[in-house]
Amino acid sequence: MRLPTFFSKKRGNRRTGLPVWGSLGEGIYHTVLLMAGLIIGVLMLAGVAVPEWRINNQFIEVDGRLIGKGLARHTLRDVFGGAKYSWRPALLVQYEVEGENVESWNTVHSSETSETRAFALHELDDWELGGQLRCWYDPADIKTVVLKQGYSWWLWLLALLLPGALVAFGITGLLQSLQSWGRSEERQAVQFGRIFETLGSPPPETVGFPTIPACDNLVNSPGTMLRFRLPTESPEAWSLIGTGLFSGLWNVVVILLAVNVGFDIAGGRANLWLLGLLAPFTIVGLASVALFFRQLFLITAIGPTHVEISGHPLHPGNQYQVLLSQAGSVSFRKLELFLELEEQATFRQGTDVRTERQVVWQSLIRRWNNVEPLPGTPFEAEVQLQLPSKAMHSFSTTHNTVSWRLVLRGVPERWPALVRVFPVVVFPAESVSTYGGKL
Amino acid sequence: MGENYSPDTDVRKNVMMTESKRMDQNTLGSYRIQPNPRISVTFNRENIQYSGGDQLRSHYIVEGIESQSISAVERSVVWYTEGKGEEDLGVVFFERIQLDRRRDGTQASSTSLIADHLTGALATDLPHSPLSYEGIIVKIRWCVRIRIFFRSGRDFVSEHIFFLGSVPVVRLPAKIEK
Repeated sequence: MRLPTFFSKKRGNRRTGLPVWGSLGEGIYHTVLLMAGLIIGVLMLAGVAVPEWRINNQFIEVDGRLIGKGLARHTLRDVFGGAKYSWRPALLVQYEVEGENVESWNTVHSSETSETRAFALHELDDWELGGQLRCWYDPADIKTVVLKQGYSWWLWLLALLLPGALVAFGITGLLQSLQSWGRSEERQAVQFGRIFETLGSPPPETVGFPTIPACDNLVNSPGTMLRFRLPTESPEAWSLIGTGLFSGLWNVVVILLAVNVGFDIAGGRANLWLLGLLAPFTIVGLASVALFFRQLFLITAIGPTHVEISGHPLHPGNQYQVLLSQAGSVSFRKLELFLELEEQATFRQGTDVRTERQVVWQSLIRRWNNVEPLPGTPFEAEVQLQLPSKAMHSFSTTHNTVSWRLVLRGVPERWPALVRVFPVVVFPAESVSTYGGKL
Repeated sequence: MGENYSPDTDVRKNVMMTESKRMDQNTLGSYRIQPNPRISVTFNRENIQYSGGDQLRSHYIVEGIESQSISAVERSVVWYTEGKGEEDLGVVFFERIQLDRRRDGTQASSTSLIADHLTGALATDLPHSPLSYEGIIVKIRWCVRIRIFFRSGRDFVSEHIFFLGSVPVVRLPAKIEK
């Protein structure tokens, strides 16, 4: 007799395991999360939502009189024996319930307490002894009285956010466990893959060519000389957008900080910590603005690159004409046009999702040395592109990608190196394209 | 595609699963040690090399098992990725045969369960993509998978690789311009 093996074993290309245990473990884990979410949710509802709802819907309004006032101190002790105090105005109210005079201290929510005694005292000054006021008492316990109605939505939001997330996570996980219960990964892919297929029809060009990415966006722009103009995927543009976003957000923080410090100084208080923070924050903010404008200047000074191609998608073994056009007034020591194959893999490392790219094949199509632009005329060159006869086709799935691209690399006379990428899609050899004809 | 992109057939190995080591087999109710299953698969092409649109026909034999211990058999033709990224999987053929129901006469199948071995066959048209690929951080494999479900809840899966297309193995060149 042997104990059950709770994990799967892999020997070469054979695997054995008890998948039910895995699903059961996941199911228990997600059930625990779901139950925790529900319990916390119920506690939050009972502690926050229900009392507020009762105050607004079941408490009875009555006229009362303020007959006493004071400060109530709430002491919160931590595990190290330290104490933290908070204060709130405590008001003794007299009101009449069915002919009976009732005197009771008002009930307030913990969110209405103040950590500053002076602030609570200041609030207390607003209440005048002997004054008439409106109050609401609990018909179930007439000694419970409040002086304010309304909902604290932010508290509701905070109270429901954590249990809501736990419940959502738990239910999603449970559904996944149920989906995988007793089913192999192939069976899941077949059964649930079909559901997703019915939800969204795949792009027309992938019909008959699974995993080959759609190339609608690569063939919708006609060229001036050749058939298609390829869109660019310039890393410089992404870098510019990234720098711009960082600069914008950072400087918003700096401005808010500066305004805060300004108000403090105007009010006769100077917070040295804030002042100390403001200086380095301002330096970083100014540097990011300078970097953004430098990148913007580089991109606009060097000028746009256009690439046109005589056919698309590409097929192994075929030849294509490629037109390269580099605008701008910058001279280049070297311009090189490459055909590259890049692999991209997305994987989880701990809690992070990482993507690794690697160029695994590269072929120099043409190199131009000492390119001097003529005024008002872009540099243009037409070259021939020969795709290898046994080239891998483009491939794109959720976590893995194999992509082809034309890459222009330039070394300007006075500027940093230039890289511009033009993705292309390669179909398998000896296949029939949706764009017509056997290839 | 240049000298760095040349075919390398040595890397490809036929991984027919004809031998099998001891397999753990337990039941929750009655802990019994099952005999070792041996799964062998034969393809309609000796070199297990196919092209897009070809028909793959395959025959399998599962031996060394007690016929009463199997509850179901799944046979599938799948591709999956290997390498640095998370695994992606595609299924082009899938069939599940519920053997315990079959004995009641409720389901017919192309699988035959005789004494201590089980045989079956499958056939499917292969798609044009993705082709088998041996890259650096991304690899694409095609295989026939035979998955046996035992009454104990345990399963046993055996993969039998074949090749779709003839994309050469990628070898990283010494220098790449960046």
